[in-house]
Amino acid sequence: MIELEAAPSARRWVIGGRVQGVGFRPFVCTLAGEMGVHGWVRNWGGLVEIVAGCDRARADQFLRRLLSEPPDIACPEFVSAEPCLYPASGFRIMPSTEGPGAALLPDQSACEACLREAADPLSRRYRYPFVTCTQCGPRYTITRAMPFDRGRTVMADFPLCAACQAEYGRPADRRFHAQVMACPDCGPRLTYMAGKESVIGNAACMARAIDALREGAILAVKGVGGYHLLCDASCDPAIRRLRARKRRPAKPLAVLFPWRGPDGLACVRRHCAPNEEEARCLTAPARPIVLVRLLAVHGLSAAVAPALAELGALLPYSPLHHMIAGTFGGPLVATSGNVSGEPVLTDPDEAELRLAAIADAFLHHDRPILRPADDGVVRVIAGRARSLRLGRGCAPLELALPQHVADPVLALGGHMKVTAALAFGGRVVVSPHIGDLDSPRGLGLLEATAEALQHLLGVRARALICDAHPGYTGTRWAKARGDLPVLCIPHHHAHASAVAGEFLEETRWLCFTWDGAGLGEDGTIWGGEGLLGQPGAWARVASFRPFAPPGADKAAREPWRSAAALAWAAGIAWTPPARDTALARSAWQKKINCPQTSSVGRLFDAAGAFLDLVHHASYEGEAAMAVEALAETGAAMDVALPLQRRGDGVWEADWAPLVAMLLDETMRAARLAAAFHASLARNLVDQAMAVRDLHGDFAVGLAGGVFQNRLLSEAALQALTRAGFRAYLPAIIPCNDGGLSFGQVIEAAARQRGEA
Amino acid sequence: MGEGRGRVTLAHGNGGRLMRELVRDVFARQFASSELDINADAARLSAFGGRLVFTTDSFIVDPLEFPGGDIGSLAVHGTVNDLAVSGATPRWLSLSFLIEEGFEIDLLARIAASIGEAATACAVVIVAGDTKVLPRGHGGGLYICASGIGICAQDLALGMANIREGDCLLVNGSVGDHGTAILLARHEFGLRGDLLSDSASVLPFTEAALKIEGLRFMRDPTRGGIATVANEISLETGFRVVLDEKALPITEAVSGVCDMLGYDPLYLACEGRVVAIVAASQARCLLAAWQSLPGGGLAAIAGRIEGGRRGVVLRTMLGGERFLAELEDDPLPRIC
Repeated sequence: MIELEAAPSARRWVIGGRVQGVGFRPFVCTLAGEMGVHGWVRNWGGLVEIVAGCDRARADQFLRRLLSEPPDIACPEFVSAEPCLYPASGFRIMPSTEGPGAALLPDQSACEACLREAADPLSRRYRYPFVTCTQCGPRYTITRAMPFDRGRTVMADFPLCAACQAEYGRPADRRFHAQVMACPDCGPRLTYMAGKESVIGNAACMARAIDALREGAILAVKGVGGYHLLCDASCDPAIRRLRARKRRPAKPLAVLFPWRGPDGLACVRRHCAPNEEEARCLTAPARPIVLVRLLAVHGLSAAVAPALAELGALLPYSPLHHMIAGTFGGPLVATSGNVSGEPVLTDPDEAELRLAAIADAFLHHDRPILRPADDGVVRVIAGRARSLRLGRGCAPLELALPQHVADPVLALGGHMKVTAALAFGGRVVVSPHIGDLDSPRGLGLLEATAEALQHLLGVRARALICDAHPGYTGTRWAKARGDLPVLCIPHHHAHASAVAGEFLEETRWLCFTWDGAGLGEDGTIWGGEGLLGQPGAWARVASFRPFAPPGADKAAREPWRSAAALAWAAGIAWTPPARDTALARSAWQKKINCPQTSSVGRLFDAAGAFLDLVHHASYEGEAAMAVEALAETGAAMDVALPLQRRGDGVWEADWAPLVAMLLDETMRAARLAAAFHASLARNLVDQAMAVRDLHGDFAVGLAGGVFQNRLLSEAALQALTRAGFRAYLPAIIPCNDGGLSFGQVIEAAARQRGEA
Repeated sequence: MGEGRGRVTLAHGNGGRLMRELVRDVFARQFASSELDINADAARLSAFGGRLVFTTDSFIVDPLEFPGGDIGSLAVHGTVNDLAVSGATPRWLSLSFLIEEGFEIDLLARIAASIGEAATACAVVIVAGDTKVLPRGHGGGLYICASGIGICAQDLALGMANIREGDCLLVNGSVGDHGTAILLARHEFGLRGDLLSDSASVLPFTEAALKIEGLRFMRDPTRGGIATVANEISLETGFRVVLDEKALPITEAVSGVCDMLGYDPLYLACEGRVVAIVAASQARCLLAAWQSLPGGGLAAIAGRIEGGRRGVVLRTMLGGERFLAELEDDPLPRIC
C-alpha cells in the first residue's frame, strides 16, 4: 500500500525545550509540506512528538532544519528517536495528548508583524488591542492546563469567528494554529468605567482613556499580568495625587514610554540616557523595567523618582500598551495596581473595589488573568543585565539543575520579594515575583502559585523547603500543613547557593551574603557574612562587628535606629532626630528588644541617617538608594576597616571608622557617600584576601540585596578582579530575596547528594 | 528519638504555640475528664447543678509593685477575672504565698493590704491560704498562687463553640497598658505618670455582657494580649478573626512607648480588660452598656468573626491586611 522510494522508513522523534505556545507545530507542519515528508506532529504533555516518513537523507535534513530554523521564540531540544510504523500520507497536526515534561512559557511581548497589522487601517485587526499570533501574546497568565492549546486557556471562552478559524486552519498563514489569536469580532474587548460613566467599544474606550490621562486622571489599566495605575509622567499634581492616594510618598515610580523611532528608544532618550546594554534590555522581548540614568534636564515631574538619579523605564509590551503609550504620545507613570504590600490585582471587580480610592477611571478587558505576573525589573551592573525582580516576560523561568533531585521539591523562598521554585528531575522552574507574605492575599498568591506550578508541570512536590526563620509566613505555612516533610535552609546559605547554582563552572566559593536581615545559624540576625564552601556545605568565615539597633524590626523602616546603635556603641556623639530617643537609648543599654545583627543593609541605613538623607524610610531600601544616588562619581577616598580574626575563627570587620568618617562635617556629603561605598568594597576585598591566605583558592560570589547597589558591586567586582579573584554577581536570578527559592533548591539538592 | 522532647524554655510560658503544645501534649492527656477544658479560663463543676465555677492561677511579676497595682491586687483581679469571663460571680478565693528568704515584711504587709482592698472591692472573701518560704536565691521575692470559686446561672452557655461567622469582637478598654507599664517599671526606664497598669476587676463588664442575649464568649486578654486571644479563637473555631486597627483602642502613651521600643501592643498583656464575642445585632447594645460603665469610655467594637481561612488578620489604617500570627519563640526581626 505504501510506495517505496529509496527505502523510505519512518521514525518517531521527541522534541523538548521551548516548543509549546511558540508556533512550533505549525512550523513543523509547513516544513514537512515543503520537504515532502509524511506524518504528523502533536503536543505530548510538555513535549512535541513527531512522526516522519521519508527516506533517510531527507529525514536527517528535516530534523536538522526543524532544530536549527525554528520560530523566533522557540528553542527546541532533541530528546529521543526511534523507528516506528510508516504514517498515512500527508502531514497533519494531531490533537494533543497528555504526557510528561511540560515547559511553561512566560507571556510574550507583541511581535512586529502583529503591531504592523494593528497599525494597518485596511486590516480587520486595525487598532485591535489583543492582536496576537503564534509568536506573541500571553501564555503563563492565561493557561489553565497543559499542553498549551486554546481549549486549555482562557481563550476557550472566545470561540473563533469564521475568518479567524480560516486563518487558524491554513498552513501558510502566520496564525496557523495560533492558540491565543483573536479579532475584534470574536476576541476580548475593552470596557471603560469612570464613576457612573461606562463606555463600550474598543475604539471609544481607548479614546476615553487617553482623554482621561490627558486630563490628569489616574487610570487603572488591566494589562497582561495584572492592573497598572497610569498617569501623565510630566504632570506634578497627578503624580502627587497618586502618591497621596497610594500612600507611597517617595518610592520611585516606573515610567512607560511610547515606542518611537527606528529602535523604539527615541522618546526614552529625550528623558534618560540608557547605555548600550540598557538599550538592549529595554527593547528585548521580555520588556522589563530597566533602571536607567535620568538626563540632568529630564523634563519629567520631579515627583517620579525623588532624590534619585535613576528611573525605572519601560517600553510597551502588549498591543494594548503600545496603543495607550503611542496615542498618549508621552511618558506615563506605570505602577502596579495593588494595595500597598499586597499582590498586584488581576480581577476587574476586585480592582474596582480595592482601587476605588486610588484610580479615577478604569480600562478593563474581559480576557481573564488566571494568575498575576508583575513587570520584571532589571539593572545593568558591570556591563551586564542583572534581574532584580522576575516578572512577566521572563518568568516562570526554567533552569537546569547541577544534579537531579530524587523527589520533586517545592521551595517557598523567604518572607519578602518571595518567589516559589519547583524542582523535579534535572529541572527547576522559578515563579514570577509573588511579593511580601505579611498579608493574607500575599500568602494566598504563594499557595496559588505553588499549586499552579505543580498542576501545569504535572509534578507533585514530595517535600517543602523554606527559610529557617520560624516567624516567616512561608515557614509557618509549610510546618502547619503537616502532609509533607519540611526542610529549613538558613537564609544566607540559600543566598550563597543561588550564586553557585547560576555559575556552575565554579566549584568552591567564598560568597559575601550582604543583605538586610536573615536568621543565622547561631540564632542571631545575619546580613554581612562571608560564607566559604559550596552548596550543602557552607561555613561562616567572615562577618561584621555585631551591633544592636533598638526596636528590632522597627530598624528596617527607621534608619536612625541603626545609626544610633553604631554611634552609641562607638561612643560617638550623635543626636537622633526622633523624639523620645532617651527611651530607645535606655532600652539599648539594657538590651531590651535590641537583637544583635551583622547586617550591611543596616549599615547602609545608618549611612543614610548620618548623612541626614533618610531617618524614617517609607519603602524598603530607601536609605541605601539615597546614599548611592548621592555619591559623587570618580575616584573616591576610602577608609580602612580593621579586620580581626575572632576566637571562633571568623574574620570580623569593624565598621567604627565609617561612623567617624560619615560624621566628618568638613567634607561634602556626596564625597562621604562615595567614600562609604569605596570603603565597604575595599573591606570586602580585604576579607577575601584574608580568607584566601588561610584557605586557598576559590571564586568570589556577591549575594544578597545589598549588591543591587551598582556603585558598590562594580567597585567590589573590579577590585576583586584586580586582586586576582574570579568574581561573580548573579544575572539571571535576583541577588535579593527573590533568588532565595532557587538557592533553597540548589542547597537542598546538594544536601540530598551529600546524604546519598 | 534519643533527644526526647527537649527542655522547657521561657517561650513555653509566653501564651503562644509552645505553651499550647506543652499543655496539650504533656498535661491534658494525663488528666482527661469531662470537666477539664484546656481552652477555658475556669472549669464548671458537675456538682450542685453545674452552678460552681472553679479556677486557679499563679502570679509572677517583676517588679512586685508597679504603677497602677502590685502582685497582690493582680492576684485578686486575675482570679476574679477568670471567673467573671466564664460568666460566674466570684465568691471565694484561696491564696498561697511562696516567699523568698529575706523578703521585707513591710512590703509583704503592703501587698496583703492591697489584697484585702481588692477583695473587698470585688466582693470576694479569702477563705484559705498557705505560706511557704524558699531559701534565698529561689523565687523572685514573692510568688502567689490563687484559686477561686464562683457561682453562675444554671443555664449559662458561654463558649467558643457558640461563635458564628459575622459575630463582633468587643473590648472594654485600651489594650497593652499593663504590659507596657510593667515593661517600663521592670527595666527602670523611669516613671511615667501617664502609664498605669489596667489591673482591675472586669466583673461589672461581664455582668453587663451577661444581660445581652447574643453573648457567645468572653475572655480576659492577659499574657500574649488581644492578638493571642484572637488566635485562640481562630484556632478553636476555624474562623478568621479580623481586628480593625482604626477601632482598636490604644492610648497615645502606650503606642508612643511601644513604637519607640519596637513592641506591638496587641501582644502585650492586659489585666483589667475583657474581650467579648457577641452576635452582630447585639454589638451596639453591648458597646453602649460598656461605655456607660466607669472605666468603659474606650470600649470598642474592635473586630469581626469572618469566614474564609483560619487566622488572625489586622485590617490596617491604610486599608491593607496584615497577619497577626500566633506568638512563636522570642520574635526576631524578619524585615530585610
